[in-house]
Amino acid sequence: MAKPIEFKAGSLTAMSAVLREIDNVRLSDALQVMLGGMGEFFAGEATIIDVSQARNFPDKADWAGTLSLLRRYGLQPVALRGAPEHLHASARKAGLAILTEQAARLQAESDIASAPAAEPLPEPVSTAPAPQAAPMAAGTMVVDRTIRSGQQIYAKGSDLVILGAVSNGAEVIADGSIHCYGPLRGRALAGASGNKKARIYSSNFGPELIAVAGVYRTFEKGIPAQIAGKPAQALLRGEDDKQALVLEPIQLD
Amino acid sequence: MTEHNNQIRENPVTRIIVVTSGKGGVGKTTTSASFASGLALRGFKTAVIDFDVGLRNLDLIMGCERRVVYDFVNVIHGEANLNQALIKDKHCENLFVLPASQTRDKDALTEEGVEKVLKDLEHMGFDYIICDSPAGIEHGAIMALTFADEALVVTNPEVSSIRDSDRILGILQSKSRRARDGQEAVKEHLIVTRYSAKRVEEGEMLSYKDVQELLRVPLLGVIPESETVLQASNSGAPVIHSKESEAAEAYQDVVARFLGEEREMRFVNYEKPGLLKRIFGGA
Repeated sequence: MAKPIEFKAGSLTAMSAVLREIDNVRLSDALQVMLGGMGEFFAGEATIIDVSQARNFPDKADWAGTLSLLRRYGLQPVALRGAPEHLHASARKAGLAILTEQAARLQAESDIASAPAAEPLPEPVSTAPAPQAAPMAAGTMVVDRTIRSGQQIYAKGSDLVILGAVSNGAEVIADGSIHCYGPLRGRALAGASGNKKARIYSSNFGPELIAVAGVYRTFEKGIPAQIAGKPAQALLRGEDDKQALVLEPIQLD
Repeated sequence: MTEHNNQIRENPVTRIIVVTSGKGGVGKTTTSASFASGLALRGFKTAVIDFDVGLRNLDLIMGCERRVVYDFVNVIHGEANLNQALIKDKHCENLFVLPASQTRDKDALTEEGVEKVLKDLEHMGFDYIICDSPAGIEHGAIMALTFADEALVVTNPEVSSIRDSDRILGILQSKSRRARDGQEAVKEHLIVTRYSAKRVEEGEMLSYKDVQELLRVPLLGVIPESETVLQASNSGAPVIHSKESEAAEAYQDVVARFLGEEREMRFVNYEKPGLLKRIFGGA
């Protein structure tokens, strides 16, 4: 006769809800803005509440409230990671498992694999004087053709060199810098996982949109005349919190 | 270009050429009909296949609509054999038309079915197979380009047509059999149609150089906007047969360049009517 219960170890892939503040009112507002009235946006996916990026922790947390809020959007919270000791007991009481540091690290790795162009990752370059960005070691991705409308290229963890053009309606993304030797007419997003030192270089500047580390710019009123169709670069300049995306001509000869 | 075409003559291999554009109404079928006729007139055994299942009109432009008994889909489904379905063109000796079905929809085209028909044509000794693609980027268009060795991308000198052509070029790069198998890429050619040198001169139309710069594909020819194209379509004879027509000559240039001959671009410069012409009235 089969045993009525067995225990087996296993791993699961889970959604991670990264909370930067532990405040149900703010969370509710943010979800409303992000997902609008789309209740049940998620389909009952197992979710880990990740508070490791939260700036400050309250003395008490209303986990039950957080859970019901997330469930309203179809998420199924199962565990908590990154919370300080004093919040563990209340989380357990609310039915959440507390993940150890090791489990948490695994989680972070899978985050990188699944979320390319999203926001800065758990331990990004954001610590003020950014050291030589480590992920760039992966080298360079070279594409020696034109990227056509509707195509998307992502250079994960590296620079992206395009020897052809980037057509209108095409999109090129890199965790490092983007170098485009043909005309750049589509969308270019450098520093996609938060590298603020990334730049976009083009020998013929005319993109629909550019972004560096999430700071983006469109050109509804056209490209500034002194760089339109000419060699130019785009980079972030300025103090940490007030960085602006600047466009500069490049002198090539 | 000369090199690979010589190669063809030395050891005959069937070349499959898709005529495509993304956008509708730019002149794909007109180009397919005239290009196929031009190759046949040069002595190449040529088949032209209508992939626009459900909206067939290649047979109308070729003037063989009354002789359609079996079609492409019948052959794919094994309801007829190729010899029964191929219609011999009335203008050229070496040209055969495989019409589309009017009653089925595009899902009737399966990849295996299309491949088998193309293989059979190859065994029948065809030099060129021209695949006339439907508009859009749906199943029918994908089937037309899947097996292509070369592509004629037909574009009008206007932004939306160029954007759609760019999209189809991207699809060629990713969905063609050559791309999927990691072989040498599909060879791309640009044909700019419905070109009006006068309107370009007046700044109302993009020049063919602008189009080429945007698409970055070698230019095979520029076909001027011409009334003869419409007349030819209505009379069921591909425009390349029209005597003293600029469009016909432009298509002959296209065929010549495709076969590796050097031809200067014609009909791309606007000449203002001279004084005499203005007084006595031009044609």
